[in-house]
Amino acid sequence: MSEHNFEDFIRQHRAGFEEQGPNARVWKGLEQQLKAQQTHTPKVVQLLKRHWLKAAAVLVLIVNSVMIYQFLQFKKQQQDLGTISPELQEAKLYYTSQIEQKLEDIRQYSPEALGLDSTARKELELRNDTYQLLEKELEANPGNERIRSAMVRYYQMKLDLLDKILEELQAKQPGTKTFNHHEREI
Amino acid sequence: MQPFSHLIVFIMQRLTDNLNPTPATDQLVARCKKGDVRAFKELYDTYSAAMYNICLRMTGNITDAEDTLQEAFMQVFGNIGKLEQAGSVTAWIKRIVVNHCLSHLRRKKVYFEEVDRVEVEEEPSVDEAGFTGTVNAVKEAIAALPVGYKTVLNLYLFEEYSHKEIAGMLDISESTVKTQYMRAKEKVRQMVSQKL
Repeated sequence: MSEHNFEDFIRQHRAGFEEQGPNARVWKGLEQQLKAQQTHTPKVVQLLKRHWLKAAAVLVLIVNSVMIYQFLQFKKQQQDLGTISPELQEAKLYYTSQIEQKLEDIRQYSPEALGLDSTARKELELRNDTYQLLEKELEANPGNERIRSAMVRYYQMKLDLLDKILEELQAKQPGTKTFNHHEREI
Repeated sequence: MQPFSHLIVFIMQRLTDNLNPTPATDQLVARCKKGDVRAFKELYDTYSAAMYNICLRMTGNITDAEDTLQEAFMQVFGNIGKLEQAGSVTAWIKRIVVNHCLSHLRRKKVYFEEVDRVEVEEEPSVDEAGFTGTVNAVKEAIAALPVGYKTVLNLYLFEEYSHKEIAGMLDISESTVKTQYMRAKEKVRQMVSQKL
């Protein structure tokens, strides 16, 4: 037994303070816990857990892309016609509001009075396929006057058709009140 | 000169261990990150003996040491994906194990309390005095220490954490850690000398 500083004594006899490793049952316990964990967690969840940061980054990227795409489409829809032809955009707004007005008046009649089946009524609501086609054509050929006049004519025809329907309905049921613009505004 | 050479070797080993991970350690950690159970076993085989000794010193009995080791390794396996530098794996595992040991002690209502500041200044220094004893006598003396003193002594002397690090772990001041360490050392010295 030689004389040492306490810390030196511990350092010099460090190995003597070490016990043997743990009993094998510790690893068995761990192995069981690992197995239980793996069987309880689906493969996809395990992968997600392991790569959650990558998954989150991909998700953010997808959401961002969709949002940017939708925003650009929205801007395009808003700006295209206005940029190509401001007058046409104005006409579109005017006719759209007029058509909506007429449709609203027609909707006030019962389906029986209207004498149209549901398909025909849906047709009246008019998916503007033809108009949208014309709008695309105009984007491709901005200077084409024929397309511009076709678009205006399309709205006029649609408005005329709705007017005729309304006239016929009023003739059939004169008692039913329909509103004209002035009455609504007043 | 001899004690200094031990210290230098130890510091160099720690530095090289942390800064230059071996390719084998890198690969092992990478496999563990993929959830490979065989890699978990290899990691366990590499570190379990050293970590078990920490648990045994800190908890003071085999059953608690084994339970704490198992809990700690489950956390190691579950969180190895968060380990950024494979080179620091030893220190990382050791810290998890120590934290589990401290949680175990807290569950057993062991509180690490501040000591009076005045007492700290009056504490006698035993650093300069020589030490005579046997390994077994020291082991027994350490085991007989109050848990608070034993924890501080073990963390400083065997796990080689600084007073500052220990203060952070136990949520007490650095001066309290120093005082408790000095008192623990003095108690060990007294107990060992009584057996001579």
